[in-house]
Formats: sequence, structure tokens, C-alpha cells
Amino acid sequence: MAQPLLKIENLRTYFYAHSKQAFVRSVDGVSLEVGQRETVGVVGESGSGKSITAMSVMGLISGGPGVIGGSIHYASDKVQKNLLEGLENYVQLEEGNGRVLTVKKDESGWQKASEKLMAGMRGKEIAMIFQNPRASLNPYITVGEQITEAVRLHSGISAVKEARERAIHWLERVKIDSPRLRYNSYPSGMSGGMCQRAMIAMALSSEPSLLIADEPTTGLDATIQSKIVDLLQELKNETGISTLLISHDISVITRLSDRVAVLYGGAVVEYGPASQLLDAQAGFKHPYTAALLASVPNQQKIRARANLQAIEGEVPDTINTPPGCRFYARCNQITPEIRDKCAAIHPELKDVAPGHQVRCWRFIN
Amino acid sequence: MRRSTRVKKYIQTSGEVSDFSKLPLHKKFSIPDLLYVGYGLLIVFLVLVSYVLGAFNLLPNDPQQINMDMLMAPPGTGGHLLGTDFMGRDIQSRLILGIQAYFLPGLLAIFISLSIGIVLGVLAGYRGGYAETVITYFTNLVDSFPRLVLILLVIAAFKPDIYYIMMVMGITGVPAVANAIAGKIRVLAQKNFIEAAIALGLRTRVIILKHILWYNCRALLIIQATLGMGEAILLETSLSYLGFGVQEPTPSWGNMVQSGANYFMQGNFWPSTAPALAILFTILGFNLLGDGLNNMLEGKRSR
Ligand SMILES: Nc1ncnc2c1ncn2[C@@H]1O[C@H](COP(=O)(O)OP(=O)(O)O)[C@@H](O)[C@H]1O
Ligand SMILES: [Mg+2]
Repeated sequence: MAQPLLKIENLRTYFYAHSKQAFVRSVDGVSLEVGQRETVGVVGESGSGKSITAMSVMGLISGGPGVIGGSIHYASDKVQKNLLEGLENYVQLEEGNGRVLTVKKDESGWQKASEKLMAGMRGKEIAMIFQNPRASLNPYITVGEQITEAVRLHSGISAVKEARERAIHWLERVKIDSPRLRYNSYPSGMSGGMCQRAMIAMALSSEPSLLIADEPTTGLDATIQSKIVDLLQELKNETGISTLLISHDISVITRLSDRVAVLYGGAVVEYGPASQLLDAQAGFKHPYTAALLASVPNQQKIRARANLQAIEGEVPDTINTPPGCRFYARCNQITPEIRDKCAAIHPELKDVAPGHQVRCWRFIN
Repeated sequence: MRRSTRVKKYIQTSGEVSDFSKLPLHKKFSIPDLLYVGYGLLIVFLVLVSYVLGAFNLLPNDPQQINMDMLMAPPGTGGHLLGTDFMGRDIQSRLILGIQAYFLPGLLAIFISLSIGIVLGVLAGYRGGYAETVITYFTNLVDSFPRLVLILLVIAAFKPDIYYIMMVMGITGVPAVANAIAGKIRVLAQKNFIEAAIALGLRTRVIILKHILWYNCRALLIIQATLGMGEAILLETSLSYLGFGVQEPTPSWGNMVQSGANYFMQGNFWPSTAPALAILFTILGFNLLGDGLNNMLEGKRSR
């Protein structure tokens, strides 16, 4: 198999929660890969560490302690490097009793080294779009000018006229009606869906190898959501861009992803081909994934008037991690044979089928 | 009939979206805003002309010429368009010369508050952390001193010079600017704008100078600057009443109002009314200029 475009290994990003006087492990050992021309979906409930994973890849975490360790190997035709190369040396960690006790970090040294590694990456190699697109745009500049700025920044086109034409071309490609007119609109004069299209145009105008989309449809009207998903699908087919797609919405993930990673409490609990992982009927499923799928409305369930199931219990505490499985307290598939192991030992990711891994004692002999 | 006008109107409004920059002024901005800014610019122009006339001594009469035979002559007598004051000096010339007390010193005050305020505001808002804590303490400290007391202290320690006064005014104006900028940056950061700009690959310099300061803070800075000019004039006037403003025989609008007020009750209203009106119309001009420009810049984004 060819080298993946993005390979995240054992990424850990911690924060200090002042209200609780403790360190939270927002991302605690995430590993996942995005292959060339592949869309990898990341699902998980709110607070599971999806956004922080994306922002760690982008080098956007500034609050302390931030990114603690791991590696992020990036390999496009132009750039091959580990975006966290040598950064572990700036951090010292002390743990005990399932808690992080102290973190010593040379913040300015870390930042400088990180900026060096990220030089030429943001916007050019890896582009990102966010939830709430209007807030990501400058309210005082027309969207056209903002796209033009991005084009001039990354595409080697310095002539304003040419850059403008390219920006209009991209407005057209994201299917904004009468792009020449819309070029002169301010973000407040456009709908949320149109702002997201403009953001997508801005992100793709530099022809990056990887797009990170963090909840790109959340907060938009249902019909608009579906149109944005269609657009992403189409652009993916046209440009062959690799995408890390983050969403708490399984239906969005289902429509776009080739592979899916399920995040729970800052770690990947299941990772595999979208077709197997998202098929509620298929076997080998992490209990959390099964619960997630059971909570999604679909045609059959609606026809059968079946009740949707909410996932019982609390979101996991990432301050005090118990020794066993993080999902232990909420799991409904524990059998007597494995109960002791579930309570005492944190399971590893285990292959259940080719390219399909699950972190659950049920599948470890 | 009715229908056709409606259609026409619709076409016009949709055209407005398309090419804002080519519209005539009165379609781009509201009429009151244009009037405000027009009046404000007129005042700025008059202040500039007065400053130049005063600086090159191109005045209708000698502003220091004492004439004991013509004390408090009413407007229009003997070539004195606005009359004379209690020492028979030409009020019109003294009014024009009085601008000298405000123009450069006022600009100095504005420059100090804006430059230091911008730097501190960006440090506090963009950097955050330790810098933010220190700057917040500093601005709270400066804010908690009554401005007038601080000025009187400086006057007592040095001398009642308008430049010293304006320097203190500039420094006491720093917290307002710094807090406004830091607040604006915090709002932008909360809205994800700064994250998105970094993710787009923009340099920090470009994000701060172009996107934050120029596009998002310029309306606010214009307001601060125009308010500052009005405030400089008012401050000098109140200090004149305490006897600490610009010192006689150098004229300032403040000391003209103050000395003229002594004769107001005797029916000689013009020695104090002329400078008082000058103060009123000038401050009004600066404030309306700031308001109008602010509305124009803010209105733009809602199009
Ligand atoms: N700056 C921060 N300080 C403290 N905790 C944070 C910070 N940012 C995120 N977190 C915590 O990290 C966890 C993961 O956040 P996030 O990745 O945004 O979740 P989501 O999966 O919903 O995108 C959340 O529980 C959140 O409270
Ligand atoms: Mg999120």
C-alpha cells in the first residue's frame, strides 16, 4: 500500500482546566491515517476530542499545555515530514494514579519549533474549514477579495486581476450563483450555506493535498447541509483531495467517508472501512459504535416506529482515567467472562477484519 | 403601473449588491451621515486654516495689541469683526491664534493614546496570558487615577505647559484604546476568525495589521481620535477655569471664555460667547465626524 498522506500516531493534547484544577486529556493517544485521495470520517459525541485532534494537526493549539506528544507524518508529493518532529523534547510529564500531575513545557521554544515545522503547510498543503463559516470570514471585506487574498498567498499569482479571475472561477466551482455579483458581497449579506461555499472556495483555491473539515455542515439548515455534502462529494471526485471529515452527524459521515474513526474520550475505539463500520447489521462492532448507530434515525426505524436509543451514562472523565476500558461504565455488552478484564485493563486496538480495528475485550482472545 | 415601478425598484436594489463601489455617494451612505461628515470635514478644514494663519501670523489684527480706548467694543466696531476683549484686544485674531493651543498638543495627545493603546491592546488581546494580566493591571491603575488630579500633579511638579497637560491626557487615554482593541480581538478570536486566518496561512503581521487593526478596528480608532480632539479642547477649558490652562497673554479658547465670563453679567456677552461658540461648534464637528465615519464603515459590512 502506498504511503498515507497523513499518519497521526499516539497524538496527545492536554489542557489545564482551571475550574477543576486539573489536567484534562482532550486527545489521549489518537492514531489514524488518511490515505491519498481518501476521505476519513471522525465521529464521536461532543467533547470526544475531534476538534482538538484537527487543531493539533494544524498547529493551532496555543493554550497550555497543549500538544504533549505523538507524531504526525505528512507525505504529499511536495512535502514529507513529521509535523511534531522533536517537539516532545520541550515537554516533561509526570503522571500517577491515572492523573496527570504536572506538565513542564517550554512554551516559547515549542511554539518556535512548531512554527518552523508548519511553515508553508497551513493553507498551502493543509486547508481547513470550520463550523460557523460566517464567523471565520472577515466581516469588513468582500468574500471575493478574501478569496483573492488566499489565491495570491498560495497560488503564485501576484497580479491582482488574474487572482480575481481565479477567485471568481472558484466561486463558480463551489456553485455560487452569479459569482461575479457575489464577489462583491460581504459575509453578512450571504446565507450560512453560501458563506460555507465561500470558505470551501478559499480553502481549495490553493489546491491543497489535505482538507480538514471540522463540522462543516453543523448549524446549517437541513436542506443546505445536504447541498454542502453534495458539493464536497463532487469536489472530492473532481480534485481527488484527501479529507479529514469531522462530524458528530453520522449521516454526513456515511455519505462522504471511505474510512471512519470513532473517537471516544480522546482515543480511537474503532477504525475501519465505512461500509463495514457504519453497517448496523455487520458484526465486530465496538459497543460505543453500536450505540451511536442505534441513536441515529433511519428509514427502517421510522417505518417500524422503533424508539431511538440514547446512549446511557455520562461522557467520560478525562481527568481521572480508571485503569480499565474507558467505556466500561456505559457498556451494555459486557459478558461475565471478560468483565474482570474490562474493569482492570485498558484494551488495545485489535484487528477484527483486514483494515478494521476495534478496541474491545470481546474481540481479544 | 404599480407593478412596473416595483419591478424597477427590485432591479435597482439587486444592482446595489453587485457594484457598491460605483454607486453615487448618496446611495452608498445615509444622508445624515453624509451631513455629519461634511460638517466635520468643514470644521477640520477651518481648524487647519486657522492653524496656518496663526502659525504665520496672518491675522486681521495684532492679537496682543492692547487698546485702552476700546475696551469691550461690541462686534463690528472699528474694524473688529467680533469686537474686543477687556483689554481692547481683537477677539477675532485671538480666536484664530487660540487654535495653536489645541492643534499640535491635541495631536500629540491622540498620538500617544492611540500608539501606546494599540500596542498594549494587541499584546493583551492577541498574546493573552501573562502580557494580558500585566496590561490589565496597568490600565486599571491608570484608569483609577482621576485625570484632573494627575494633571494638577504634573503641573505642580513641572509648569502649566499645554504640552505637559496633553501628554498626561494622552497617557490617561491609553486604557480606553487598549481595552477597546483587546475586546475587539477577543470577540474575533471567540468567533474563530483568528484561528481561520492562521489556518489559511496568513502571517501574524498581516492578520494583526490588515485584518484586525485596519479592517476591524479602524472605525473604533477614528472615534477615539475625533473624541480625543474634542476632549483636548474641553480639558484645556476646564483647566483655564482653575487657572492652570494656557497662560495669558497667550490666547486659548479656554482662557478667553474664562476672562470674558467676568463681564458677561454686565451685558458684554461677546468676549466669552465667541470662544464658547467656537468650542461648541468645533467639538460638535469632531464628534459628528467620528460618528458619521463610524456609521459609514460599519454600514458597509451589512451590505
Ligand atoms: N482550551 C481548552 N481548555 C480546557 N479544555 C479544553 C480546551 N479546549 C478543549 N477542551 C476540552 O477538550 C475536550 C475535547 O474538545 P473538542 O475536541 O472540542 O470536542 P469535540 O469532539 O466536540 O470537537 C472537551 O471536553 C473540552 O472541554
Ligand atoms: Mg468540535
